[in-house]
Amino acid sequence: MTDRITEIELKDRLSLIENMIAEGRRTTGSYSWTFILWGVAYCVAIAWSSWGFGWSMWTHSYLAWPVTMTVAFALTWVLAVRKSHKQPGTTAGRGIGAIWFAMGISMFVLLLSLGLSGRGDSQLFVAVIATMLGTANAASSMLLKWKQQFACAVVWWAAAVASCFGTVAQSTIALLVAIFFCQIVFGIYGMICEARLRKQQDGSNA
Amino acid sequence: MPELPELNPVIHGKLRLALLSLLIGVEEAEFTWLRTKTGSTDGNLGAQLLKLEEAGYVAVEKKFVQRKPQTLYRMTEAGRLALTEYVQALKQLLGAAIGA
Repeated sequence: MTDRITEIELKDRLSLIENMIAEGRRTTGSYSWTFILWGVAYCVAIAWSSWGFGWSMWTHSYLAWPVTMTVAFALTWVLAVRKSHKQPGTTAGRGIGAIWFAMGISMFVLLLSLGLSGRGDSQLFVAVIATMLGTANAASSMLLKWKQQFACAVVWWAAAVASCFGTVAQSTIALLVAIFFCQIVFGIYGMICEARLRKQQDGSNA
Repeated sequence: MPELPELNPVIHGKLRLALLSLLIGVEEAEFTWLRTKTGSTDGNLGAQLLKLEEAGYVAVEKKFVQRKPQTLYRMTEAGRLALTEYVQALKQLLGAAIGA
């Protein structure tokens, strides 16, 4: 009888270890909202740089991208700090954060320099933005083993190619299509997936 | 017949074992997250974490984030080694129990 109880206890301990390790690894931050936030930010920047807004100081289109991107970056930073301080830090989470942070800084520095030096045209801007976003999405998708995000990377790369070979109008359309599918649609899909995962975890914790 | 291993009494407690198993999968975790995952009370959780800290299996860091106190726990190398040895001992004992 003692042997039987011991065996059950031992198995119980092993299963506890397995469950808790799985629980820790399942922990993922919820960052899909950033895709939507940045999708909206890109749309604002495109609209501002294309048509300007009502007030005269806002009609300077060269301000559109740096100002919108800085505001989006600051908003992302504040919201991410507020949301993430209760989540445990994981190596995968830090890796993905590093990819997007480095990509954001590189894009900001390069686009700002191209804009100020007058060396870039709108098609080159779109190609740079799309290539960098394709790179970050592909790297994230490989880390997370998330095929849908890799599909976003392919869409971004396709937009970059279209921008290099197409007209200015075609380049803008390619950018808008990529923003719609890879930022807005993918962001909403990610939020649905996260909500489902949270519900599942709450159910298993209850 | 090989001698059966002893189970580490510090780790053998259910809550302490759960805590170490949770911490091995993350870099660091906040007290409230550990409480949610284990379903433990503040007092019990604090006491068990203190035992793990005294054994050198977890390291604690207290800081303020947005003016709110935050207590972060991370597993030490000694803790990682102890849990690995515990699992090996558990498997050996289980093998012996099944074989008996």
